[in-house]
Amino acid sequence: MSTVATEPVRSGISALRIGVFGLMIAGLVATMLFSIGAGRFSVSVPRIAEILVNGALNPGTIPDEMDERIVLLVRLPRVLLAALSGAALAVGGAALQGVFRNPLVSPQVLGISQGAAFGGALALLFGYSGIVLLGMSFLLGLAALILVGALARINGRTEIITVILSGMVVGALFAALVSIVQFVADPNTSLPAIVYWLMGSFSTATWARLGLAVPGMALGLFAVWLLRYRLNLLALEDSEARSLGVNPDRERWIVFAAISLMTGTSVAVAGIVGWIGLVVPHAARILVGEDHRALIPASALLGAAYLTFIDTLARTLTAAEIPLGVLTALIGAPVFGLLLRRHFREANRA
Amino acid sequence: MLPRRLYTSLAISVAAMGFAATASADPITIVDQADRTVTLQKPADRIASIPIPMASTIIAMDGGTSKLVGMNPTAKSAIVEGVLGRIFPEAKDIPSDITAPNFIPNIEELAATHPDLVIQWADYGADLVDPISNAGLNVALISYGTEEKTRYYHNMVATALGKPERAALINGWRDTVANEMAAKAKDIPADKKPKVLYLGRALENLTASGNKGNYNAWYIDLVGGVNASSDVQGNGTTISPEQIAEWNPDVILLNSFEAKLGIDRIYNDPILSLTKAAKEHKVYKMPLGGYRWDPPSQESPLTWMWLANLLHPDVFAYDLRGEMKKAYKTLYNYDLTDADIDGILWMDMQGAETAYAQFKAK
Repeated sequence: MSTVATEPVRSGISALRIGVFGLMIAGLVATMLFSIGAGRFSVSVPRIAEILVNGALNPGTIPDEMDERIVLLVRLPRVLLAALSGAALAVGGAALQGVFRNPLVSPQVLGISQGAAFGGALALLFGYSGIVLLGMSFLLGLAALILVGALARINGRTEIITVILSGMVVGALFAALVSIVQFVADPNTSLPAIVYWLMGSFSTATWARLGLAVPGMALGLFAVWLLRYRLNLLALEDSEARSLGVNPDRERWIVFAAISLMTGTSVAVAGIVGWIGLVVPHAARILVGEDHRALIPASALLGAAYLTFIDTLARTLTAAEIPLGVLTALIGAPVFGLLLRRHFREANRA
Repeated sequence: MLPRRLYTSLAISVAAMGFAATASADPITIVDQADRTVTLQKPADRIASIPIPMASTIIAMDGGTSKLVGMNPTAKSAIVEGVLGRIFPEAKDIPSDITAPNFIPNIEELAATHPDLVIQWADYGADLVDPISNAGLNVALISYGTEEKTRYYHNMVATALGKPERAALINGWRDTVANEMAAKAKDIPADKKPKVLYLGRALENLTASGNKGNYNAWYIDLVGGVNASSDVQGNGTTISPEQIAEWNPDVILLNSFEAKLGIDRIYNDPILSLTKAAKEHKVYKMPLGGYRWDPPSQESPLTWMWLANLLHPDVFAYDLRGEMKKAYKTLYNYDLTDADIDGILWMDMQGAETAYAQFKAK
């Protein structure tokens, strides 16, 4: 974007941007409404509206009828959880790509997902579910991040390349630990649950689970949003950033902590849902450009709509629940391949 | 379905064994469920079993534990913690490090048990088999999941042990009970057949199975029920509570694999507690006997009787406790106590469910 844009052009851009954001918000709302209406148990559209209104008027009461419970206790928390996770994963990816000045990184590179996966798999191995599963996957996701921090800090300073390499090392370590858990798991009991959980799913979404996910994800999203100006500076060279009064090391770690909070929580409530953090920020960049002040909220909105839509497919296409990780990869990988080709074609041209 | 000639060749070897019961020097030939011919110079005194369900089957076919020299750690924990552990306390000393739970053989530990015969899965590929035969051990492969396959490997193992008459006895019992049930169930009108949902997993995620090649679906049909999840493709597929609401089953069966799973799981769930099954208190956890009652095992006819009595108490009126006592005497030479039976049937947990009172001790 040109910095010498004249006033009319500038206001033209912001009007366009408001239009784009308006469309994205409308898209998200439409997707969520569609998702609440869609499901294996048939509930008519007027009935859904009635149930939603009743539910909003009498919050906290458990209804007696099956269709009310399905809409209010199954679909609504699931749609909200999917939207929130989608926003968190996409924002995590966008922030990470900014910090590393590299469009090809995602939350997996810091080893957080693998750490969280190990925690969750361990909980399932010992027959725990619910809050223990959540707690263990979050704690081990955090442990992975702390390990990366300790490994990457050399002589009191942290270089980006050492963070990426440490992330790979820690990720590989935790991936191996996940394999060990699968190796010793009972094929009759815990193993199928672990394998399914690792593929990612919102099938266990409840209001309680949503309540557990909200603090971590909201805090992470809020932190990244507060840092949206800093992300623009972090995208510069370290020396340039320092000359502008930024301590890139400290700022980066705040971003990492926020991302680990979001990713760890997301893995805890839904298993590993890949590709969102990689693909969605690219789509957002096409729509609103590189500026993180616009890119962060755009990624959140697109990520929320995208994951809600994918989850709706996962739970409605067949009587069986299709694992989310499978769908996000089936759609994400080809899209990412196309983006990659375009990226390098433009890079070659420049 | 297995080729007919397998049955024929097995029948011949079984017949040959019948004549040679005392002349133990004669070699035994069995054709396993991968169509491989295995020859033993004499009846096997030492059998190691890598598949999980097979360990208790070997005990049943021999009538004791002395010939089981190695088993899967998961099979061992099931035996030690269940009623077989009380019947055969010595089972806790049988090695279980011949394989990890994943069925990959640990050849050195396996060889150290000096087995005359190793049992392995037929359907998991050559990588799990070749190392055993390369070590010079005899290995016979079994295939799982249907009634026919179960009878076949019962016969195979009993023949290898030099006791084909045990398989004839136990399979004959299966045959009699199954035929008797089919005859009675045939007169049950379609609208009187309850929709039965079997949940293979229910703690973290819910799984159900379609009809194709599924043993639970097979016996639900046998005893005059309808598999509620028949439109699912495949076995052990994850489904949503919403899908269960849509099926609205008349009866819900919980698996016996998940130790922490109780019928409260259904009654505490906002969706599942509104199904017809929950409202009519027809939620039952599958019993856990010498082996789990959900998959095929040497105790399967008891599973069928239990479910038949629950679905159609007026059509089938088996004296389940009496049948269990008889069966355990035959299978394990053990006199079941009333407390044993109450434990196997989870009387404490589900004695108050609909139709369950018929299983109370008289």
